[in-house]
Amino acid sequence: MSKLVAYLSQYGVAVLFANVLVEQMGIPVPAIPTLLVAGSLVRAGKLSFLALLGAAVAASLIVDTTWYFLGRRYGHRVLKTLCRVSLSPDSCVRQTEGIFERWGMASVVAARFITGFSTVAPPLAGAMGAKLPVFLFYDTLGTALWAGGALLLGFIFHRAIEDVLAFLESLGTGALYLLGLALVLFVLYKWWQRRRFYKALRMARISVDELARLFEKGEQPVVVDVRHEGERQRNPRRIPGAMTMGVSEIDANLPGIMPETEIILYCT
Amino acid sequence: MLIERGYKKVRPLAGGLDAWIDAGYEVEVFEKAS
Repeated sequence: MSKLVAYLSQYGVAVLFANVLVEQMGIPVPAIPTLLVAGSLVRAGKLSFLALLGAAVAASLIVDTTWYFLGRRYGHRVLKTLCRVSLSPDSCVRQTEGIFERWGMASVVAARFITGFSTVAPPLAGAMGAKLPVFLFYDTLGTALWAGGALLLGFIFHRAIEDVLAFLESLGTGALYLLGLALVLFVLYKWWQRRRFYKALRMARISVDELARLFEKGEQPVVVDVRHEGERQRNPRRIPGAMTMGVSEIDANLPGIMPETEIILYCT
Repeated sequence: MLIERGYKKVRPLAGGLDAWIDAGYEVEVFEKAS
């Protein structure tokens, strides 16, 4: 039995627990590769499927419940912080709110399968007032489906995974450097992607003082409140004169706005 | 989406509604849907 397989056979459950824990905290260390390898070891009879599934669910529940309570207590401030530190700029508050409002608690299940959303969904559920038992049920279901599915894939494709493990073992410590390099490159790519996105936003954005000066000068830019309906219900204030326009309403509202008009968008 | 439809001057408000309120600027309240 190779050393790598022996190590994973002995510590696989603990490794998986730690990996899922770290990933759910928002740190970009994907747990899917670990789940696939663990699944192949289940096929080889070296690890228990239930023990691995239990470890993944337990780790996920620990972190997700913490995020849930933070969201319940601090609301959108937690979500804004997560969006600022997230390496996935497309997992912003507005997008996740939209998914949640459309699909309800079922979105917590789907969130497990969407990069970036899985970390934001628990505090969002808390911020939007989901009841704890309901959240725990859907979170457990989502994690069980996600982890169970990946373990099953590892189980089915165990031969390919064993070949990869054998290749990594042949590299010796070079394998660690290779995996470390791959992780660093992944994080650097996501960081660059996020930086480019926010740079574009910074170049285009307008400050509240600039907008106030436009109003004082008598200029009338079109101000659009792009918050979702639920958020507007919870916070029924808006910038004077702002029109409300969800994504689905854009085409209906555009004919009244000239293309050269300056349009100011705001959410929470 | 607006840029795709030919609107070139699309600008996000830095800090959003929270920043506008924190700066002490006037807001209006719209009626909640019944």
